[in-house]
Amino acid sequence: MKQRMPKRRSLLGTSPGDLLFSEPGAALIVFAVLALLPVFFSGYIIYILPQYMLFGVLAMSLGLLWGFAGLVSFGQAGFFALGAYTMGLAMKWGGGFDPAYLGLLLSLVVGGILAAMVGYFLFSAGVRGAYFVLVTLALSIMVEQVAVSQSQITGGWNGMFIDRMSLNLGPLGQISLFDDAAIYYVILPVVAAVYIVLYTITVTRFGKILTGIRENEDRLISLGFNASLYKTGIFAISGAVACFAGALYGTHANFVAPSLAGVLFSTEVVVWVAIGGRGSLLGVLLGGIVVASFSNYLSAITPQYWQLVLGLLFVAVILYFRGGVAGAVAQFVNARRAK
Amino acid sequence: MSTALSVVVDVTLITLILALAAFGLAIIYGLVGVINMGHGAMLTLGAYLTWAATTAGFPFVISVFLAAAGVAVIGLLLEHIVIRPFYDRPFDTLLLTWGFFLVSTEVVKIVFGTDLRNVANPVPGAFDLGGVQLPAYRTMIAGTSLLLIAGSALVFFYTALGIKIRALIQNREMASLLGLDVSRMYKMVFVTGSFIAGLAGALISPMLSVDPYIGNIFLVRSFFVVIVGGIGQLLGGTLIGSFLIGGSETLFALFTGQVFAQTVVFAVAIVVLRFRPHGVLRSG
Repeated sequence: MKQRMPKRRSLLGTSPGDLLFSEPGAALIVFAVLALLPVFFSGYIIYILPQYMLFGVLAMSLGLLWGFAGLVSFGQAGFFALGAYTMGLAMKWGGGFDPAYLGLLLSLVVGGILAAMVGYFLFSAGVRGAYFVLVTLALSIMVEQVAVSQSQITGGWNGMFIDRMSLNLGPLGQISLFDDAAIYYVILPVVAAVYIVLYTITVTRFGKILTGIRENEDRLISLGFNASLYKTGIFAISGAVACFAGALYGTHANFVAPSLAGVLFSTEVVVWVAIGGRGSLLGVLLGGIVVASFSNYLSAITPQYWQLVLGLLFVAVILYFRGGVAGAVAQFVNARRAK
Repeated sequence: MSTALSVVVDVTLITLILALAAFGLAIIYGLVGVINMGHGAMLTLGAYLTWAATTAGFPFVISVFLAAAGVAVIGLLLEHIVIRPFYDRPFDTLLLTWGFFLVSTEVVKIVFGTDLRNVANPVPGAFDLGGVQLPAYRTMIAGTSLLLIAGSALVFFYTALGIKIRALIQNREMASLLGLDVSRMYKMVFVTGSFIAGLAGALISPMLSVDPYIGNIFLVRSFFVVIVGGIGQLLGGTLIGSFLIGGSETLFALFTGQVFAQTVVFAVAIVVLRFRPHGVLRSG
């Protein structure tokens, strides 16, 4: 008797269990929880959570680069700070357009173009691996130094104050976003939207080609793919995303300083992604949110020991848990479902 | 003219001091391919151990050697426990040494506190050279750096050990097939690189106020020195790289501020890297 192939019943899986345990399912749960939080809590946590969510987006920009394309970048913080500064300048100058939208749009463009230029410059010469890491680290430092030295524009070491944006709905008027909950409910959907866009990228052909480049770049080149163009593309996307997140962060935190571009913050982003799980966008998003918020919380209580624990955790993750928390969870879930 | 001479003197001193700081990294990166992101941390440790030793009463020279030896031991432990399984995975060693930097910085903060420390300058003052003031201590370090490089050249080209090292650089697999004990060489290389990094940190400590991030300034610069000079070109490469990076920074700083000069130098280094990915000395 001929075996018949089972018909696929849906795109994501064949049972509710599959749906729940797949990443989009888990993401849905996470965003639902985040959406309901302001209903039950108020005060500082609702104020600060959007910032951590934006850190999560920053982490996703690195997760996209590192987890899918295999490119470690120590420079995402540079783009983040660049976005914040861009937003600050846009809010100050306006220029006839709605300053907030101008800032957001500009941040996407600036981040994307800068990353594309640098990426093309480097990848087209076959700069890979360690050199790339170094250049991104240098980039971050350069952004920090430009921010410090051009103090007439940026305020130098003292940083720059940024206005809180308001939501301009055109003919429907403007909604002030001074209220914590108001801006929370603007940033949350944006973060969710970015997640959806990035996740979609990873499951398309583009994403698969990048995975191929990560695994064996030479083979893909021999198959005829222009690897450097793909790498430039993903770098441009991640730069734009990081810059965009920075712009939102700037208008939320109302302040940006050169240290946002510095080596230490760049490092933190890498730590978030490593612990969260570089292979999973959701893992990385949560890694950013959770690790950053824990760092803030515990550093108030035990600053030195927490940083030390974080460093040791980072080393442990690289040594033993290469997939980070997300990887460990996935293994656990798969093992249980196989029974 | 005394200004031209003073510029030459400045550039020479900076070049040699930067070469000293980068040499440890050149050894580790060039010989065993480990991208030691903890290099800055080793410099920092060297500086702090020197402070601790001088505070405990040891004379400066002894303190420096104690500090360097201390960092060498730390490097040995790091190599044995953490790095050893990952020699053929450069990304992992990069991240692991970065983790070492994180942990080491925090430990330093816990043990020594975050206040600025000072190591007394053992050779204060300056002497005159054709109308230019030469700070005595910096000249001494520059001289030490030159001696170290010259000494390494001697070992490199005139001893059996030097031949083994050169074999390791040229063709690792072949060298091990011909009987070279590769893992022992790796340990030795790592320990030596750590020792020199600690030594550099120790010697540099009187020049700057010692804080937990003192080594960071030299981290990216050292990498650029090594890459621009050419990985594996331990002697000529390090000197040329230091000259290009350190010297050009000093020159640019004459026109723009110090901070901006660093930005320009990094940008130039990136451009150079793109066109000569194997460094200035290697062809192609």
